[in-house]
Amino acid sequence: MTTTPTSDATTPLPGAGENAVLAEVTEALHAVLPEIGLEGTAITMDTRFVEDLDLESIDLVTLTGELGHRYGDRVDFPAFFASLELSEIIGLSVGQVVRHIAGCQG
Amino acid sequence: MSAARRPRLNSVRLGPVGQDTVVLVHGMVTDNLTSYYFTVAPALAAAGHDVVMYDQRGHGRSERPATGYRLEDFTDDLAALLDRTDTTGPVHLVGNSFGGTVAFDYALRHPDRVASLLVVESEPPTAAWAAKVSTLLADSANTLRDEQALPRIERTNGRHEARLARQACPLLHGTTIAEDIAASRIPAEERWRALDLPVLAVYGDTSDLAGTAPWLESLLPDCRTHHVAGHGHYVLVNAPRTIGALMLDWVRAGHRQRAEAIRA
Repeated sequence: MTTTPTSDATTPLPGAGENAVLAEVTEALHAVLPEIGLEGTAITMDTRFVEDLDLESIDLVTLTGELGHRYGDRVDFPAFFASLELSEIIGLSVGQVVRHIAGCQG
Repeated sequence: MSAARRPRLNSVRLGPVGQDTVVLVHGMVTDNLTSYYFTVAPALAAAGHDVVMYDQRGHGRSERPATGYRLEDFTDDLAALLDRTDTTGPVHLVGNSFGGTVAFDYALRHPDRVASLLVVESEPPTAAWAAKVSTLLADSANTLRDEQALPRIERTNGRHEARLARQACPLLHGTTIAEDIAASRIPAEERWRALDLPVLAVYGDTSDLAGTAPWLESLLPDCRTHHVAGHGHYVLVNAPRTIGALMLDWVRAGHRQRAEAIRA
C-alpha cells in the first residue's frame, strides 16, 4: 500500500494523521542532523529538504534511515525514492514524505 | 598497508543479508552512495540481492581526513568494509567512474573475493589515468577558489550544479586528494592480462571514455563492453532504468557467460 506523492506547490493542511507524522519527521530531522542549524527553523509540509534546509542528498538517506527505525517495514523508503526522478528528489518537500508515510500506515 | 587510522565510513545495506551480495562503489568529489540509493539499489534489493553501498573517504557522510587519498587508500577502505561485512562468498563489485577504478584495483588484489566486476564509465588505474585525474582535481580546485566561480556555475549550469560544486570545496581545498591521486600505486600492465574475472564495462556512447572500450577488451581476458546510446559520463544517474536492467541481468546469470562465447 503506497500513495503517489504529488509535487504541486499548494499543499492542503495536514490531517490529524499527517500532523502526527509531520511531528515525527521533524523530530527525526533534529535527531540525525543537529549540525544543520534547524533550531528555530519551522518545518512545515511545504518545507523543501534541499532548497529550504540546504540538506545534501546524502542527508536524505540518513533521515530515511532514522525514519526506518521509527516506522519499521511498514514504510518502504528505498522504493519511494526509486519512484522519483532525480529532479523530484532535489525538489522533495517534507509534505511528500509525510503523505507517503501516512499512506503506508493507512 | 598504511598504519594510519582508517576513517569511519558511512554505509547502507538493502535487501536480504546473505548470498549474491552486490557492492556498489561511487565516483569522485561530487558523488556519494546516493547515486545508487536513488537509482539502481532498490531494484537490486527487491530482486533478492544483498546490496551494500558506502560513502568513500572524504565523501558523503564518511570522514574526510586531510591526507590519505591515494588509490590504494580507497581500495584498502573497500577491503576493510568487506572484512567486516558478513557475506557468504565472493561478491559482485559494481563501480561508477572512479568507483570502477577502485573496484578494478580491488579485484586485482583480491580476485578470490570477487565473483564479477561491472563498471560504468570507468577505466583501470594506469599512470595516464592518475596524471589525468590529478590534473582535473587540481584544475577544479583552482577554478573554485575564484569567488565568482559558484555564481557563474549557477548561471550556466543551474542551482543544483552550483550546490554540488560548493559541497565539493571542502574535499578539493581541504585535503591532499589531487597530489595523492598522482602518487597512487599503479599495477603493472601484465597483471591486468591475468585478471581472470568476468568484467562488463558500460559506457555512455557520447562520453570521452566510450572509445576506450576496444582497448579494455584487449587488455582483460574476460571482458565485454556495452554502450548506452544518447548518454555521456553520467549515464548511471541519467539512465538508471537502463543501467539497472543491465546490472540485474549481469549479477543473475549474465556474468557466467564468457566473453568469447558472446562474441563468437
